[in-house]
Formats: sequence, structure tokens, C-alpha cells
Amino acid sequence: MDSLTSSPGARTEQDGQRNRHPHRLQGALFQPIGDEGRAELVERRLVDAIHRGHLRAGERLPSESELARSFGVAPVTVREALLTLRGQGLIVTRRGRNGGSFVVDDADPLAFAHTALLHTSRLALRDMGAHYSAITGAAVRLAARRADPSEASRVLRRLERLEDLDVDQQRRVLDDVLVELVSLSQSARLTREQMKLQAEFSPYLRLAAPDDAGLRAQSASLAGIIAAVEQNDPDAAGSRTEQLVADVIDALIHLQSSRPGVP
Amino acid sequence: MTDPLSHGRLDPSNRSLPLKKFHRRALEDAMSTQTTTAPADAARIVEDYFGAPIRMLDSWVGACAQELAQLLSEGSLTRPRLDAVVEPYAARTLALDAVPVYGAGFIAAIDLLTDAHSHLAWWQGEDGRKLVLASQTVNKEYIDYSELEWYRVPMSTGQPHVAGPYVDYLCSDEYTITIAVPAVAGGRLLGVAGLDLLVSEVERELTPRFAALGHQVTLTNGVGRVVVSTDPRCATGDSVRGSRLADLPRVSCAGVALDVIVESI
Repeated sequence: MDSLTSSPGARTEQDGQRNRHPHRLQGALFQPIGDEGRAELVERRLVDAIHRGHLRAGERLPSESELARSFGVAPVTVREALLTLRGQGLIVTRRGRNGGSFVVDDADPLAFAHTALLHTSRLALRDMGAHYSAITGAAVRLAARRADPSEASRVLRRLERLEDLDVDQQRRVLDDVLVELVSLSQSARLTREQMKLQAEFSPYLRLAAPDDAGLRAQSASLAGIIAAVEQNDPDAAGSRTEQLVADVIDALIHLQSSRPGVP
Repeated sequence: MTDPLSHGRLDPSNRSLPLKKFHRRALEDAMSTQTTTAPADAARIVEDYFGAPIRMLDSWVGACAQELAQLLSEGSLTRPRLDAVVEPYAARTLALDAVPVYGAGFIAAIDLLTDAHSHLAWWQGEDGRKLVLASQTVNKEYIDYSELEWYRVPMSTGQPHVAGPYVDYLCSDEYTITIAVPAVAGGRLLGVAGLDLLVSEVERELTPRFAALGHQVTLTNGVGRVVVSTDPRCATGDSVRGSRLADLPRVSCAGVALDVIVESI
């Protein structure tokens, strides 16, 4: 009954059930929205940004009114969310002329990612990899067909200048470069999806290769993908992307199973 | 297309004869005229369309640069000060009638401000909301725009530039064309004044004007990417590289780095 396909012989019975069983996609439509309030949504957004290192240790958050304008919520909603974040020890608030809300000085995305990894099932990790691979792979294939070689080589040159930067900056450049590469697909939808995925995946990319050598290896894989885009070779761009993601997920699962106390 | 002679053929009266000849000559004249001027007409449509927003930016970028230079000389050019100077100019630009402006504002030259490495004083959307980069899904505040076309080209050439189409993941999050003009005061480049057009809106506006020429018209950018086309087989975002269109002559438009490719139907 849950099968998406039906044999021709089963059709009469299926037709008879049509009125009683709503179409499968209606299931998605009527999924519970939940009663999560706006303050919780704002809070979630900020917590994610701090956990993922997009708001760094010691960094000043935009003002309450700026946040409210940007999120399209009332200032009181932002204040409520910031109060919870303070309670969780993720931000501190200082008064005075140079005051405002700041990310706590010991916020460490790598530590957050470690904790997250230990609480994530292998199934969820592999599924995250499948999702990332599908979106990024499709986008780089499209980019390989559509990008001008000069655009791809400009992205590649950004990677080559990586050496002079500190590790945090290098990670940011890798994130940037991936989004920029995907945007060469000329697809706004795929690029938006990639930005969401990249925010989630970025700490894991880092966790899979925390040292300098690991970062260089990831950067070299990425350079290989960009080179394929530059050569207008969709198949190579796609398969190299899938390989990069598979390597990251393997490394994460290895890391997870090598730690004691993991279910 | 219906044959203009068919009516005359069915009509036995002599009176229709001169009329029928006139029809035919008029049609032939019209066709030969179109064959020779359609590419120039298409180019003019493009020049007129993008000319208005460039003139709008030109109308305020000088005055804006003077105000900024004044603050700069006082050593007090900060993000809030920049925003305050730019906001009325951005509002005026967003209200432009000639083209549907999605976003407008000013992008500071790298390391110009005393309180930030880089900054976009930018308003966009239906309600002209101020862009706040730091609070978005990916923290875009640190995205380095110095290499992006809408900043890089006007900053290096000193000329207005029509950039894109490209996926603007910094501001609109849509497929976008950005028009940017450099802001200069006292010989110093302070940044670029710019505005965004959504390609979907440009398509809605330009396609009927091109179609009225009675030819297949495709607008491409400097790297041969399709901006809009009357040809349903021709997808926006695709490159003409390796396609049928690559072999057709391109007519460049004056004042904007865009080309038109015109085919008779």
C-alpha cells in the first residue's frame, strides 16, 4: 500500500482507494508546522551561526534593531532570543559606548562539531553526504557547461592565495570558493540551496581534516573540481565532487567509531 | 503568415488590383528595411534600456563621493555614517521608473572605513529594506567582494559597468544584473554606486520589445552568456559557445558591454 508504483493489475483496487487515500504529496503539505515561536527561530539561526563558526569567538553581533530589521521580526523577539543565548553561555552583553552582544571568547566551532558528530548517527551522516553530493554535484556539472573558463580560473586563483592566511581564514575561503563555484551554474535555486548546505557541512569538512595537511588535501580536491569546470568537463567535475564528499563522510565515520563511548 | 495576394486573387473586381500591388510592395519594403536595421534597432533598445539606470547613478555618484570625502578628511567615515549618506540616494534610485530596480546603494572600497574592512550600504526588495549581511544563513559579512565583477571592473576601469547576469548570493539571492559606476573624489576611488535588476524582470520587459522587431533577438554579455532571448530554445544563463548562435554575427551595444545576435525568423 505504501509502494509508489503499482502493477497494471492492481489499478482497479488503487482507483477504488483514491478517494480515501490522499495523494502522497498532500502528506508533505499537511506536515505539522509546529508551534515553534519566532523567538525560537531567531535563536536557532544565531545558535547555528555560532556553532558553525560563522559568528566567531569575540565577534560583535549586529544591534538588536539591525537584527530585527534583517530577520523581519519585532525587536522584542530578538531581545528574547538573545536572552536565551546569554542563558546558554554563547554570548555576553556589555554596556557602554562600545557595548553590544558578543560571541563568548571560548566559542570553538571545532568543539561544537565534535559534540555534534558524537550525537549523530551514521545513517544521518551518510544521508547528509548524499544530500550535499546531489546538490553540489548537479551544480558543478551545470557550471562546467555554462561557465566561461575565465570565470573558473578566477575562482581557482583565490584558492592559490590560500597559503598566506590563518586556518580560520583558509576555511572561510574554502566555503566562499565552493559557493562561488556553484554560482557559476547560473542557478539561483541551486546556489541558495548550496549556501544552506555549506553552512551545515562546513564544520564537518573541517572536522574531517583538522590539520594543515588535511586542509591542503581538501583544497587540492577542490582545485581539481574547479579545473574540470574550467575545462568544461561536466562528468569530471561531478565525479570529483562526489569523491570529495565520500572521503569526508568516510573520515567522519572513522573519527566517530575510533572514539570511546560512541553508540 | 497569410499571403497578402490571396484576397485579391479571390476578388474578381479590377478595383482590387492596384491595392494588391501596394500591399505587396509595402510588405517587401518593410521586410528589406527590417533586414538591414533590425540589429541596430535591437542594439538601440538595449542602449536605451540600460542608459536610464546608468544616468540615474551618474546623477548622484559625484555628490555622494564629495560628502564621503568630507567625512573621510575628518577621519570619521564609519558604517553608520556611510549608510546615512547613501540612504536618500538609494531611495531615489529604487524609485526609478524606467527600469524595475530591485536593490540600490553603495559599496565601499576595501579598507576605506574606519570601523570595517568592507561594507555594503544597500537597500533592496519591495519594501527597500536595509541589507544586513552578518545575520544571514551563511555569514556573508566576510565574503570578499573585491574580486566580484560589479566591484572589480568599475574600480579598475573607472567606467560604468553592466555586470552579469550572475547569481548574486551576496544581496538579492537571485539571478541578477548589477549596474555599477565608480565613485571618485579628489582623484581617490571611494567605491562603487550600484543598482540591481533581476533578470526575470529584464526578461519580462525586453523580450516583447525585441519580439516587436519581427526577428529572433538574443542578448548576450561579454563572455557570450545569454541574458534574454526571444528564441524559446535559447536559455538564459547558457553560453552561446559551441551553439548555432556562436557562428552568427554579434552587434555590440554602445556604452554597455552587451551584444545582440539577430536572426531572421
